[in-house]
Amino acid sequence: MTALSANGAFAGEFGAALLDPDVPVPDGIGGPVGAPAKKRYGVYRNNVVVGLMEVMRSAFPSLLALMGAENFDKVARNFIAVSPPKSPMMQHYGDGFADFLAGFRPLAKSPFLADVARAERAFLRSWHARDAVAATINEIAGMGEAALPELVFEPHPAAILITSKWPVADLFDRRNGDGDGEIDLGEAQCLLFTRPELSVIVQSLNAANAAFAGALLDGERLGDAAACGFDVDPEFDFASGLQTIFSSGAVRTTRPIAPHIP
Amino acid sequence: MNRKTTISAAVVAGALTAALSMAASTTPAHAAKLKCYGVALAGQNDCAAGPGTTCAGTSKVDYQGNAWKSVEADKCEDIVVEVNGMKKMGSDKPLTRDLPS
Amino acid sequence: MQDSILGSDLQGFPVDDRPLPPRAGAGLKPAHVADILANRPAIGFFEVHAENYMGAGGMPHAQLHAIREHYPLSVHGVGMSIGGEAEIDREHLARFKAVVDIYQPAMVSEHLAWSTHDDVFFNDLLPLPYTDETLDRVVRHVDIVQNALGRQILIENPSTYVIFEQSNWEETQFMAEIARRSGCGLLFDVNNVFVSSTNNGTSPSDYIATYPLELVQEIHLAGHSVDSDDHGNPLLIDAHDRAVADDVWALYAMVLKRAGALPTLIEWDNDVPQWAVLEAETRRVESFLDACAGPVSPARAGHDQLVTS
Repeated sequence: MTALSANGAFAGEFGAALLDPDVPVPDGIGGPVGAPAKKRYGVYRNNVVVGLMEVMRSAFPSLLALMGAENFDKVARNFIAVSPPKSPMMQHYGDGFADFLAGFRPLAKSPFLADVARAERAFLRSWHARDAVAATINEIAGMGEAALPELVFEPHPAAILITSKWPVADLFDRRNGDGDGEIDLGEAQCLLFTRPELSVIVQSLNAANAAFAGALLDGERLGDAAACGFDVDPEFDFASGLQTIFSSGAVRTTRPIAPHIP
Repeated sequence: MNRKTTISAAVVAGALTAALSMAASTTPAHAAKLKCYGVALAGQNDCAAGPGTTCAGTSKVDYQGNAWKSVEADKCEDIVVEVNGMKKMGSDKPLTRDLPS
Repeated sequence: MQDSILGSDLQGFPVDDRPLPPRAGAGLKPAHVADILANRPAIGFFEVHAENYMGAGGMPHAQLHAIREHYPLSVHGVGMSIGGEAEIDREHLARFKAVVDIYQPAMVSEHLAWSTHDDVFFNDLLPLPYTDETLDRVVRHVDIVQNALGRQILIENPSTYVIFEQSNWEETQFMAEIARRSGCGLLFDVNNVFVSSTNNGTSPSDYIATYPLELVQEIHLAGHSVDSDDHGNPLLIDAHDRAVADDVWALYAMVLKRAGALPTLIEWDNDVPQWAVLEAETRRVESFLDACAGPVSPARAGHDQLVTS
């Protein structure tokens, strides 16, 4: 008999070879006429790897479109080998893919891919986020002028901002299959993901808008968040930035924090 | 807070007034809800499930099986990602298909 | 927790003790939901993987809520790793319980398989040797799950591609003993019987003849693909990517003859077809169930009033 029989332990040896084709097939398994069982064990290997590749493909359709299936599969195969899932919730698998891409030497000449991965992850997090009613702009319409700069907003659970020095919005958009337009890699873009109801709204924000939205979602007061926008660009369109926040459902409820308001 | 800009209450109030007038002319998008619930063009990206679990095997094959082990990734050839219309980045090799015909 | 069902405030369904009806069901696919809600086909029940509804909110839950309002539901776990060496993952169990508590399914089931070891989740139903040690462990794990959920679950027989030399229990007897000792019920996957028996060089009808069918409360049917092993012998793969094979329909008829009508699911998880194709498979199941002689026991009469459109 074999190592597989000790104390009913089997999973360590059986699992060790699943993700690594260079680890030999475990002893102690076979078919009706005994060993070898390379093809039989290979079914499990194949199920695990192909299954996880499918997970990666469905989680990162923009990267799949950008890299092409052959390149994407090579890279995903590598990621799976070094970062197999730690949870049965497949919606979380690939959380570490952006960091993996950033450190993956063969992709060093395409440094923008990691931000695309971050954006795709944000899309899925928004898709699965807790449901909540988004605030409407009318909720603050009646407030006194003095209270407005002091307002603090609670971010909607599905609101996620991705900032990038790459054209992440154009790159992300390649998932929709209409990817023939020019992409200027010199352009920095930011993406705001929101889901006030069931559909994820994806919006490209300029740097000033993103600074404003980011500060607001981080819990800064409205006046301070606006200052962040103007710091980035004196021409910051504050009104349209504010409208974007509310129309996309990025904030949840208003909570006036105004100690010095009469 | 260490902002270069200081914002007066009047500026915020003005922006709010302008934003309110913009909001009046826009409506939030409920399109995907309709699409995925009833009127249905199944399989559209917005209705996709995202990754899920499996209780089935697969008849597809992992063709990458022996290629590209992670420990060898440092020795691998570069992958240069090019998008139609994208400016070339860092590709050392001339690409013949880019030559004008 | 924020990013899982444990951090959600999803609305739950009232406690519902009605069993799954002895009719044809279908595995629920997101791409089919719109079609189903628009046309309300006369399907006996739908089944989902618990793990795909463990997120905090959004479209998956909206769809499942809408389906659950109109149809009986079966929740099928694929990630509990009941056959594993590791102890049951309590956080996963808590998420599983949340799904069950919210949706009040008519049936809850899991697999005689493992998928997690040393913190790695392999996302496949992996095999275990059948020994006294593994039996003890499986029984303990089923017990933990049933206690946590406060209800009986069903355990499904696996598709297997290898035989462990150390196994000294027949799978049929192993399943019977799990049920006897834990009090769980059994989910009988007829395609798995055909796949495993073919792969093991044994007879599927012998398997059925020695199986404790009286403990079976649900049946699964699916399609499989055909390959060959290192010796050139047939190696079937439980691919769920095509229609049910004729051999499997014949075994299904054999099972019904002995066991009577049982809720029967068509699983089609890869190369998922249009809804109409899946629905046609469920109608074929219904024709077998209709031909199945004998009255349906009252305990198994289901929510028919909910599904007549």
